[in-house]
Amino acid sequence: MSAKSFILKTLLAFTISLFLTGCSNDKPAFPDEPGYKPTPYEIEIPYAFPTKLNIPNDNPMTEEGVALGRFLFYDGRLSGRTHPDSLMSCSTCHIQENNFEPGIDHPVFEGGFVHGLTGQQTHHVVLPLVNLVWNHSGYGWNGGIYKNNDNPNFRTIEDFVRIAVMASDEMDGDTNQVKALFQSLDGYPELFYKAFGSQQITFNNIEKAIAQFVRTFVSAEAKIDRYLRGEEQLSQPELNGFILFTTEEGADCFHCHGGFGNPLFTTHLFYNNGKDTVFDDLADRFAITGDIMDKGVYKAPTLRNISLGGPYMHDGRFETLDEVIDFYSHHLQVSEQVDPLMHHLLRGGVQLTPNEKADLKAFISTLHDENFLKNPAYSKPKKFPDEP
Amino acid sequence: MLVIPGCKKTEEATAFGDFSLKVKHEVEGEALKTDALIYTNAAGNRYMVTEIQWFISDIQLIKEDGEALGITQNVDENIFYIDTDIEETHTINSSYPIPSGNYSGIHFTFGLDKEANKSHRFVNPPESFMFWPEYLGGGYHYMKLNGKWINETGAIEPFNFHLGIGQEYDEGGKSGYDLFEFGDRGHYQHCDGYMPPQKLNSVTAFIHNNFSLKLPLNFTIKTGEPVEIDLIMNIEKWFYGYKVYDHDVWGGAIMQQQEAMDIACRNGVEAFSLRSEK
Repeated sequence: MSAKSFILKTLLAFTISLFLTGCSNDKPAFPDEPGYKPTPYEIEIPYAFPTKLNIPNDNPMTEEGVALGRFLFYDGRLSGRTHPDSLMSCSTCHIQENNFEPGIDHPVFEGGFVHGLTGQQTHHVVLPLVNLVWNHSGYGWNGGIYKNNDNPNFRTIEDFVRIAVMASDEMDGDTNQVKALFQSLDGYPELFYKAFGSQQITFNNIEKAIAQFVRTFVSAEAKIDRYLRGEEQLSQPELNGFILFTTEEGADCFHCHGGFGNPLFTTHLFYNNGKDTVFDDLADRFAITGDIMDKGVYKAPTLRNISLGGPYMHDGRFETLDEVIDFYSHHLQVSEQVDPLMHHLLRGGVQLTPNEKADLKAFISTLHDENFLKNPAYSKPKKFPDEP
Repeated sequence: MLVIPGCKKTEEATAFGDFSLKVKHEVEGEALKTDALIYTNAAGNRYMVTEIQWFISDIQLIKEDGEALGITQNVDENIFYIDTDIEETHTINSSYPIPSGNYSGIHFTFGLDKEANKSHRFVNPPESFMFWPEYLGGGYHYMKLNGKWINETGAIEPFNFHLGIGQEYDEGGKSGYDLFEFGDRGHYQHCDGYMPPQKLNSVTAFIHNNFSLKLPLNFTIKTGEPVEIDLIMNIEKWFYGYKVYDHDVWGGAIMQQQEAMDIACRNGVEAFSLRSEK
């Protein structure tokens, strides 16, 4: 081989090796840190549940994101403060054993009506955080947080986090203060790196982590689910109640609140269910759509775990399930906005007898999912990242 | 010099075209206006429609020689949900190129037939929200036509004109479950023909109320010239034809009233028509 040929071949090999050993995505941002390699988190679809999930493209679920979100959900410093009297997090109002609602017997929030750090009561009562990953129709009692909203700040569960932190009737906080606080806490920057690839904490990533955690809340192990899978039979009263639930001549709940073919036990859609004749709530569905027929219209929430207790309806007017069943039986109010699915309207309601009411209640109790209410994966962590 | 011989076609390839069905909802020849109390049916009920949600299935194009071609290659995909509130559902496209040629009609099934109408075949909304309760036969609603009418007392009353699998009940009062109090319904208007079933009486039979139609229309499919045909639901025709359907007779709910659903479906065979834009 001539010298010229050797040099050309060496140069060629060197050029090729440069090409093959170009930049790698695994290069750590900090020399001492392991590479950013998030682990995808797969939601297991329960029997007969929808397969389409509402997960934004810019926030795919990861084990690391969910783990971080669990800390943030329960960390009272989400309020941006450290004084014990000023701590507030999602879990202050969203209590797992109460279906992620406050619960009617809350020691601080009397009757389950919550208020923020300023003492101001929230406009509507708290909605449960159950199976939200299957909601494509808008979050909140009026669905004001929805996917194709022209306003990009009101589209997803992530946006709820920002709203909760800033709202005067919730944490009354400052997002800059919140992110600076978490930046200063040992352990958190590293968790943010593992979840999002940067130790520089942004409020956007705080929102994303909490949203990922909330999306993991799946309730699908109630007695009704075992019945739907053919694993367990319902009792006679429960079967009677199921028939009442799913027949127009019975209690007629199913068109809005699901059943065998819709195990979410909600359509996530919005209805005027005949509670009132005068509509003066400035935050009903009309506030979102501007359609006069949406006055007094609110979301039909899931009935999973509602046998735990109230308060029920958007304003918490009913304390007990008995009151709700009585309302639908005898006390519907006529207005032009009442949804046509409420076709027993002119009779005042579905006119259930006492035995029928008891059977209906027995059926609703089969939607109680103790596994969900006690699942350690959704519970408060034993300690926070900065605790020894 | 290198010469590369070109390909030579030995026979004409079959030409294909595209086909779309445009679904329209009309009353007396005019596009449906929802939430407007402006219509009067054959029974004299003044009424409005708030929304219509329904299934059409087994759509086939009938060639001049009588051969029928499904508009999807997979028969399981030949089921379409239509919703007056969701515009995208008003256009049904063939899922593969349709052979060119002359066609003489379109066949379809209103709702789903017995084989197709199985529970849990749809798990995602909006289709899953059309589920028909197991106790009433399972599967799915063929149609929810919701609205309100002015009843004979002058009050505006909601109606749910819901069609699907019907039931026969053991009217002898024998229940598959323990007897319970039926309850006082004396204050509630019993209309002629309306027989509310004992809520927990045994169901002795299910009736599949779907129907299929073959509507004539001559049209030609050519390569490069997409064909659009209007399929019109003439809403007023649900309420007359076989028999006049009176909301004051049947009340606001018919899912458990086979006699009412039977009338509705027999009227319904006349409720559809085709229209070519050309």
